[in-house]
Amino acid sequence: MADFRILHRYATSLLETSLEKNNLEVVSSDIQLLVQTLEQSRELQSMLDSPVIRPELKLNILKEIFSKKISKESMDFIEFVILKNRERFLASIGKRFLELRDDHLGIANVFVTSVSEFSNEQKSVLQSRLEKILDKKVRLNFKTDSNLVGGFIAKVNDTLYDASIKHQLELLKKQFLTGEISLN
Amino acid sequence: MAEVRPDEISAILRKQLSGFESEVDIYDVGTVLQIGDGIARVYGLSKVMATELVEFPNDVIGMVLNLDEDSVGCVLFGESSLVKEGDTVKRTKRVASIPVGKELLGRVVNPLGKPIDGKGAINTDKFLPIERKALGVIQRQPVKEPVQTGIAAIDAMIPIGRGQRELIIGDRQTGKTAVAIDAIINQKYTHTEEAKSLGIKPVYCVYVAIGQKSSTVAQVVAKLQEHGAMEFTTVVVASAWEPAPLQYIAPYSGATLGEYFRDNGMHSLVIYDDLSKQAAAYRELSLLLRRPPGREAYPGDVFYLHSRLLERASKLSDELGGGSLTALPIIETQQGDVSAYIPTNVISITDGQIYLESSLFNSGVRPAINVGISVSRVGGNAQIKAMKKVAGSLKLDLAQYRELEAFAKFGSDLDQSTLRTLNKGARLVELLKQGQYAPILVERQIISIYLGTKGYMDSIPVSDVKRFEKEALEFFDVKHKDILETLKKEKDISKQLEEKINNAANDFLKVFKKTV
Repeated sequence: MADFRILHRYATSLLETSLEKNNLEVVSSDIQLLVQTLEQSRELQSMLDSPVIRPELKLNILKEIFSKKISKESMDFIEFVILKNRERFLASIGKRFLELRDDHLGIANVFVTSVSEFSNEQKSVLQSRLEKILDKKVRLNFKTDSNLVGGFIAKVNDTLYDASIKHQLELLKKQFLTGEISLN
Repeated sequence: MAEVRPDEISAILRKQLSGFESEVDIYDVGTVLQIGDGIARVYGLSKVMATELVEFPNDVIGMVLNLDEDSVGCVLFGESSLVKEGDTVKRTKRVASIPVGKELLGRVVNPLGKPIDGKGAINTDKFLPIERKALGVIQRQPVKEPVQTGIAAIDAMIPIGRGQRELIIGDRQTGKTAVAIDAIINQKYTHTEEAKSLGIKPVYCVYVAIGQKSSTVAQVVAKLQEHGAMEFTTVVVASAWEPAPLQYIAPYSGATLGEYFRDNGMHSLVIYDDLSKQAAAYRELSLLLRRPPGREAYPGDVFYLHSRLLERASKLSDELGGGSLTALPIIETQQGDVSAYIPTNVISITDGQIYLESSLFNSGVRPAINVGISVSRVGGNAQIKAMKKVAGSLKLDLAQYRELEAFAKFGSDLDQSTLRTLNKGARLVELLKQGQYAPILVERQIISIYLGTKGYMDSIPVSDVKRFEKEALEFFDVKHKDILETLKKEKDISKQLEEKINNAANDFLKVFKKTV
């Protein structure tokens, strides 16, 4: 719980400063790169997690990797986080920042799970329908899961739009169990 | 049973399925982060409400109690071993609620309104949330009608009014539940035609059993059935084996059932048996939710736990229909210690208390009510005039008796007036003894107390007092029915009536003395 408060605060401050300085796009692509790199390299993350390695050394390593690829403002933020000894949250702060940025720009991240891959046509139909329902720009992320039997599930934040056969079957089972059906 | 052919089954299934719509179902979900001891921390569920019911897998229902920044704390009403980390939790968009209405009378339900008496589903579409706000000042009026418990000692000296909160407190095995059950059984009279003609409105009862053995509850239900009291009673049960959250919400469910009657211009009597167990269940739950412990390890809001429950007892103003909800909470003390945390809290919330003592119980005074320290702060206004008149001298006589009782033990020479007081007191104490499940109608109580306080029993041995009372009431029943009828109708003892009673009593005394 405390973790969430920490990363939320750092992420908000980064979002606010980048809005002030009007460089949200640059910063967000930098952060995206940072998050991606940290997720791909386990060694890098465990280096940040390690209490044995001195913060200065960590900063130098990160500087060497990123300084040529990202803006100065982003690098300053990384340095600031390390200075505050919160480097192990760097990846989560980045993720939270991207979420907050999407919120700010009115973009909804929708996770669609289906049995088989959608065709491009289906994707665009789904996108336009969801944009209409949510009244927001929609970014679709696709995943397949054969357990659903058929149909799809779209997840926006905590809300599920469940059109899967699996869920329908569950509802049907419930209906049978509550005794809606009577013989004679 | 006739056999069902397979093609019949498939025909019915097909018919049912054709009506089954396949639409997109929209619902909110969260993920279980941590589970154990009946508590789940859930990530997500961002729009969930406090006290909302949520659905876990395997039909386990939970209730949201803690709303934190990034997670919510839920209590489970079912087995926590059926829920795993990472499971999906669904919102129901329904705060914890219970079905209400007259359909629940005669039924035994759990705190969520599910019937557990095997009598089938309860057909009612009215639901009310179990946590409701108590009424304000404007909606209320002072209590003015009596709830007759049928127990002479209570109805005479510790009267309870409709809308009052009267605590029943005592050690284990002192007859606390017996008092409450007798009170329910006595409400049967209010459902009769006779009561209706006298303007006495029916009282519907709710008995909430918290943390008791299921066998005890079954006994209570059987007793109520035996005396025909189940017809106007609902029993809400959260037994000892059930999870603490269910025990915690049980009294609120009971209050909601009672409030339905109150809000529709009817009268209800709700018994919470007992609130010490509810407090213990709430303590368990709070500690598991990591709320900081306070005195006796109860959480800081344990006072609010009981005050918000008992504040829901009320007498509505006439504009709102004049309904009422009378609450009889029960508290069990340890070794007569009323200064423990929960007893003092509840004593301060209620409008009076009935003390039951094990020493009295063991010396044969049953109901074991200590009338010296039992009080009713508002019920006096609700007492009928005739009872008020006879109860005044009863209280005084008993108080004098208690004062002198200590002296009498030394066996020293006592003067005439002291002896008279002691004599009378001993007879009055005997008179107030009463069997279980044997409530007495108020006009009969008045007659027997009148005979006691006016000294008609002073000349007969203490051991014959109960027989005297019984036979006197029979005598009045057979030969002077008019006296009882007038008492019932006029609810007052006029000069003429008093004379009549005195004459009848003198006649009876002459006859009775021959049998001693």
